[in-house]
Amino acid sequence: MKRTTLEFRMPKVNEVLGSAAAIVKGMSVTFREMMQPTITDLYPDAPPEFEERYRGKHVLQRDENGLEKCVACFLCAAACPANCIYIEAAENTDAKRISGGERYAEVYNIDYSRCIFCGYCVEACPTDAITHGHGFELAGYSTSDLVMRKEDMLAPVPEGAHFPLLVPTAVAGGGGH
Amino acid sequence: MSDIVHLTVDGKAIEAPPGTLLINAVKRAGIEIPAFCYYDGLKLQAACRMCLVEVEKTPKLQVACTLPVAEGMVVHTDTPTVHEARKGMVEFLLTNHPLDCPVCDKGGECELQDMTFRYGFGESRFLEQKQHIDEKQWSAVVYFDRPRCINCYRCIRVCDEGMGLTALGITNRGVLAEIIPNEHDHLNCDECGMCIDICPVGALTSGMYRYKTRPWEMKHVGTICTHCSNGCKTTLGVRNDEIIRGNNRDRSGLNGEFLCIKGRYAFDFTHHAERLQSPLVRRNGKLEAASWSEALAEVAKNWTAIKQRGGRFGVIGSTRTTNEENFFLQKFARQVLGTNNIDHHRSGDVPTLLDALSGRTDALATTADFYERKAVLIVGADLSQEQPFLAWQVRANVRHHNAHIYVATPGPVREDRVAAASVRYQEGGELASLENLREKLRAEPELVVAFGDAIQGDAVRQLVNFGDSLGVPVKYVALLDYSNSRGALDMGLLPHLGPGYHAVDTPGMSLAAMLADESLDALWVVGANPLGRHVLAASKPFVVVQDLFLTDTAEHAAVVFPAASAYEKSGTVTNLCGEVQRLEAAIKVAGTKPDLEIFGLLAREMGANLGIWQASKIFEEIRGSVRGYNIPLPILTTGGAAQTAALNGHVPAPPRAERIQAAHNTLFTSGSLGQFSRTLQVVLEAPGALYQGR
Repeated sequence: MKRTTLEFRMPKVNEVLGSAAAIVKGMSVTFREMMQPTITDLYPDAPPEFEERYRGKHVLQRDENGLEKCVACFLCAAACPANCIYIEAAENTDAKRISGGERYAEVYNIDYSRCIFCGYCVEACPTDAITHGHGFELAGYSTSDLVMRKEDMLAPVPEGAHFPLLVPTAVAGGGGH
Repeated sequence: MSDIVHLTVDGKAIEAPPGTLLINAVKRAGIEIPAFCYYDGLKLQAACRMCLVEVEKTPKLQVACTLPVAEGMVVHTDTPTVHEARKGMVEFLLTNHPLDCPVCDKGGECELQDMTFRYGFGESRFLEQKQHIDEKQWSAVVYFDRPRCINCYRCIRVCDEGMGLTALGITNRGVLAEIIPNEHDHLNCDECGMCIDICPVGALTSGMYRYKTRPWEMKHVGTICTHCSNGCKTTLGVRNDEIIRGNNRDRSGLNGEFLCIKGRYAFDFTHHAERLQSPLVRRNGKLEAASWSEALAEVAKNWTAIKQRGGRFGVIGSTRTTNEENFFLQKFARQVLGTNNIDHHRSGDVPTLLDALSGRTDALATTADFYERKAVLIVGADLSQEQPFLAWQVRANVRHHNAHIYVATPGPVREDRVAAASVRYQEGGELASLENLREKLRAEPELVVAFGDAIQGDAVRQLVNFGDSLGVPVKYVALLDYSNSRGALDMGLLPHLGPGYHAVDTPGMSLAAMLADESLDALWVVGANPLGRHVLAASKPFVVVQDLFLTDTAEHAAVVFPAASAYEKSGTVTNLCGEVQRLEAAIKVAGTKPDLEIFGLLAREMGANLGIWQASKIFEEIRGSVRGYNIPLPILTTGGAAQTAALNGHVPAPPRAERIQAAHNTLFTSGSLGQFSRTLQVVLEAPGALYQGR
């Protein structure tokens, strides 16, 4: 086997300067970023932050009076490609008013073992009742845990709203029309 | 004048008979002209102006729904002017129409919604406040939302012409025009719901279906109504094993779109709170819930013991169970229990009619004959109350074909209004009263005769003789009570006749005789409530009942089996005209079993082999062995109605003539079953004059 000899060559000045400049450039990024606020989420030690349009667990919205916005039109269920939304509708009465429209969703379930978070339901909703929230901790020990009920998804009653909005019983005697 | 008119529509050459309306003529060429107020079979209204088309040589757009075709006519339906006109009309209709489609029950099957998508602007230019009027409830089943109404008058016309009622009218003019019910603030009518069905928008909505679901969420199951004997097809909307609505918008079945209150709303007994969902066995004098195996064993043990000591059995069948079940039941009674004591609640004298018409092939009327034949004679029945579909056919026949209707009843009936002649009789004078009509009937080219239980026994033969003496072709039908009253007769639930009206060797006891027999050891009642009207004479018979509810009869039972209703099973039923149609199971109610399965399990428990208890297999047997039932299967399997063939041969008369007593249900009653339909219980009843004081 033929041996090759390693030859030492003096570096040129411009090469030295070039290397030094590269280090300075690299370190400048490092030092600059050290001064910036951190972008690493500290989850689970701290809650993560989401972009505004992140599609997480759904939230069923209420209007300013605390009434549910959902009028049980079933359009979200119709739009859902995963067929994961189940609704049972019921009629509002003067004595028991749940939503602003003539009817409300008595049962509203989303099966998160099937939901693909495509957002079609949100797009289909004519009353902006269903929105994607930022909830994402949806893991469970069984698939039945993943079926969320209306109560699990409803937005809290806003401050100052009178909920449940009940007409005084004297007026409610009519029982609807 | 030539028989055919030639015209050109959108460049296509079309032929149509003279007098055809343009809107109908173009359909055959595959061209659609949109319309709201035009409705096949109803009078013209020309109210909605949606069907405007361009006709050459006419200065203005023409209304296609009132324009008869003319020779050489050149029509354009696809021009910018027509498009503009349609857009304008939709915009006008939407002026006051609330855009509440998400909460409107019609959403998804709304004609206005469809038309707006197809022909409308897509956006609204009106900024003005829409007129709002609160929704009104007119009856338990009819709600009216004025702002949604587009004043097409369909509801008014279907009620007036179709139902013969005029329960709806219109008040005010212009934007204030409003549909009003006959009693100012509520309806007093048949509550048939035809107005709701025919409404192209969500102005009229159903109290039953109200806000429950959306049309696309339901499974639609076409089956046969279990109430009266007309055999209407009702398409049940099912969600979560619950029937939510009934209608027949696809016009399948012999009834087309027609349904009365029972077919449309009275399915609600299926989920009545008192529905039996577990077998009951009497222990220490009290009926207690038991398992199926316990109950079956209890029955088999007792029946075997009674049979061994030569005891007397009595079997009472149902007028609502399927042909297959009735056939299997009589086979069970005759072969396993060894008795001919089998009967059911008879409501019309079909055996005598078939005997009198023996050998004739064209003397049995179909439901279609009531619409097509030139004259109809009704004897002893308030058709609008008892046979609503036949009454609908009769009214349509008068409207479309100028048919002549003759009525012979004890009191005034709704058919009098369309009748060419009406006669009244005292009980017993039925046939004598027909003599007054003889001359008029003789002048008719053809005739359909429908008769109730007033004509029975020898009177049936006299009626046929009367028909023969007229010298015109006559078809007959004996009016019956329930969905399979005819099937029960055909399948041999009779003490003296087996399936196909063949005589049995030793005639057994009739229903009345069984109940009056003091030494009866066992009574088996399937889907009937004889003890609601009669008293059981025997002191301690072993009573077995199969029913949906704990009826008066079931309360006397030792064992009660929870049965499935007609909407929960498959099989076939035969209507009063002998037309066989298929049932389709819509739902399943937990804990119940179809009667056929109960028979099968009982047979197995008794150690008897009656063959496989599957409806399709038994129907094959029926087709092969029951006279008249060799009907074409393709008609049945595609949801059609196949009429059974007429008999050729003698039908023996019962050994002792017994009075046949029909229930004479009104539109709002349906025997024992009617008590468990909330809808039938809550509507304001408006029975005919024949039922005043009943």
